[in-house]
Amino acid sequence: MDWNQIIQNTIRAAVGVDAIYFAIAAIGLNVQFGYTGLVNFGQAAFMACGSYGLGVTAQYFGIGLWWGIPLGIFFVIVLALLVGVPTLRLRADYLAIVTIATAEIVRLFVRSVKFNKVFGGTDGISNYSREYRELNPFEPGATYGFAPFQFSGYSFFTILVGWTLVAIFSLLVWQLMRSPWGRVIKGIREDEDAVRSLGKNVYLYKMQSLIIGGIIGMFAGMVLALDRGTVQPDNYSRDVTFYVLTALVLGGLAKVSGSVVGSMLFWVIFVLSDNFLRELTKSGPLRIGDFTVIQSTQVGAVNYMFVGIGLMLLMSFRPQGIFGNRKEMALDGR
Amino acid sequence: MKKPNRSKFSRSSRFGLGFGSLFLIFFGLLSVSGVGASDSAASDYSIIASVQNQTLVQGVTSREPVANASVTVTTPGGEVIGTATTDEQGLCTIAVPTRDDYLITLDIESLPDGLQLIDANKFQVSITKDLFTTNTKRVTFFTGQSGTAGATETERILQRLADGIRLGLIIAMCSVGLSLVFGATGLTNFAHGEMVTFGGLMAFFFNVNLEIPILISGPIVIFMGGLFGLLFNWGIFARLTKRGIGLISQLVVTVGLSIMLRNIYLFQFGGRTKQLASFSKQTNLEIGPIGITPRDLTTAILGVIILVSVALFLQRSRLGKAIRAVSDNVQLASATGIDTRKVIRVVWFAGGALAATGGIFRGLDEQVSFSMGSDLLFLMFAGITLGGLGSAFGALIGGFSIGILVEMSSLLVPSELKVAPALFILIVVLIVRPQGILGKSQRVG
Repeated sequence: MDWNQIIQNTIRAAVGVDAIYFAIAAIGLNVQFGYTGLVNFGQAAFMACGSYGLGVTAQYFGIGLWWGIPLGIFFVIVLALLVGVPTLRLRADYLAIVTIATAEIVRLFVRSVKFNKVFGGTDGISNYSREYRELNPFEPGATYGFAPFQFSGYSFFTILVGWTLVAIFSLLVWQLMRSPWGRVIKGIREDEDAVRSLGKNVYLYKMQSLIIGGIIGMFAGMVLALDRGTVQPDNYSRDVTFYVLTALVLGGLAKVSGSVVGSMLFWVIFVLSDNFLRELTKSGPLRIGDFTVIQSTQVGAVNYMFVGIGLMLLMSFRPQGIFGNRKEMALDGR
Repeated sequence: MKKPNRSKFSRSSRFGLGFGSLFLIFFGLLSVSGVGASDSAASDYSIIASVQNQTLVQGVTSREPVANASVTVTTPGGEVIGTATTDEQGLCTIAVPTRDDYLITLDIESLPDGLQLIDANKFQVSITKDLFTTNTKRVTFFTGQSGTAGATETERILQRLADGIRLGLIIAMCSVGLSLVFGATGLTNFAHGEMVTFGGLMAFFFNVNLEIPILISGPIVIFMGGLFGLLFNWGIFARLTKRGIGLISQLVVTVGLSIMLRNIYLFQFGGRTKQLASFSKQTNLEIGPIGITPRDLTTAILGVIILVSVALFLQRSRLGKAIRAVSDNVQLASATGIDTRKVIRVVWFAGGALAATGGIFRGLDEQVSFSMGSDLLFLMFAGITLGGLGSAFGALIGGFSIGILVEMSSLLVPSELKVAPALFILIVVLIVRPQGILGKSQRVG
């Protein structure tokens, strides 16, 4: 067992691109779920808006990459209206049902043969990130940083950009939630009727929260798309939302630092478990007597099983997460 | 409330006990049974290429494997990793060194005479390393005709209607439990799809591993499905409700449960779809213009019988009336002397049993896979929303309509998008009549 390598990978995961895009997506989800109490199970679709926004501008329209940001915002608003208009006046779980369904349909749409020309079908879109790569001041081939934080020039640039975005959005959400707007939003989570009796248009506030959270989620998709250099429809499956949710609950709902720390922790634990199990099964399946405990093809399933167990246990025993405040977590939708 | 001296610690440890034992019982159940001990690959990573010839008979596409086709895996740079020819199952496995980007090319010249690719441009598939969700990545090439040649408009509509009725029966069966649990406890159970999968996988275990015919093992699986539902309630949700955990938090717990169970299934069963042994080979019966296998006809008739008896049970029996009373209004029902906790247990049992039945039927209809239930979850939600959340009859009507709608809509939209109209219905219903056809408006807002 190569513990040195495992530990290096684990530490690196805390700052890697996966933690970054999870953190940004979780900040967005936190605005919706943590602060407003909107159960958005379709954050993956909002992320896809960003990724496909970038991909489609460069590939289909043939205009500059950065037009992808307004296009992505347009996608987000359309999507938020689609899921929000019918459900935001209703009980909380209707939004959950509609968002989970919409996210799945969005994924089916972008991978369909019918819209192959625009979204690239199952192959997705690649070759759009040239303009972004030209901005990179670092030598793409060279290695930067110190052990264990060593990255190639390209990753290093993405990581810098990504953490800058994380910082910007954290600051933004922190300020937003201190503002009068944020107090109304938190009031809606605690008692919708009380806020309504103060003359606030709850529906409109919920919609704004959904769109703002969606736009932040969109940037998570953009970071992912720029890092991978390719947009694949299956990167935006339903489960991605749930993993982001797990990271968010782990760090603590309704806390700005919660989303960031939660995402880092999520990936540290995930990479540790993944690396450990892969090392364990590298030289054949692990057996106790005749009973095969685990083999290498099953490592992925075990990791995600832990994620599910973790989400259940956290929600049951520590819904405020590791750092959260229990008073902020009085979610109840009836 | 009754025992104020009970400390918080003991309560949560009791809870943890239930939680843990649920997990252990379930995991033990599966690992002892060793459902379809998954096939391990020799190398860490491999690509499985499959070549299938697609033919269209009576509006139903059937696929046959193509042997002796040559498939090559290269890096995007053009370096050849390996070449293989397909076997009798139309499959070949090519080991690849790591999880990376590859190009998979089918040699068109090697296809048997007369076969062509459906889409002549699809002789090459590129995959990226992200697509390796497990250690094997499967790629399929289709030859033969596609589309809808050969059948007249009426025949196609009737055929789709017949398929729609079958799907509708399955969805109705699965969603009754979802709706009843919602009515009785207020919980939206996102792990309900996994209860359906449980039925399918258990049917596979009895039918294929133990070689017990489905007609005998079916009732056992249905009973086990009911116990599985009870286990959900006893192990988790009854305890959470007792501890005063809110419904939205419980909803998130169901999401975690769903992820956990789906991955346990994946762990035990593997990522492939597999066929049940009973009734796997059947020839079409021609009823007028519709082609239907005796198996499908039998399951359809059985499905109708089951659903009618569920409806009669709810309408006529004392227990059924109690269930409807509880799902109408828990406080009032409780005030009239109905033991609501007992009713909730019954509802979980019945929901689990019906979901398992749906899983068996779905497994016979299509194939068994670890995600067969969660793939249907969205259609179930659309069905119960259309029928009215919390109403059992609504779930029957709504689920049935959604099944027909989905199959019929594949006449108009590409079949890969045939579930999209269900979303459309879902949104329209929520705008126009959010309580659904049979729902009560007071629980909506």
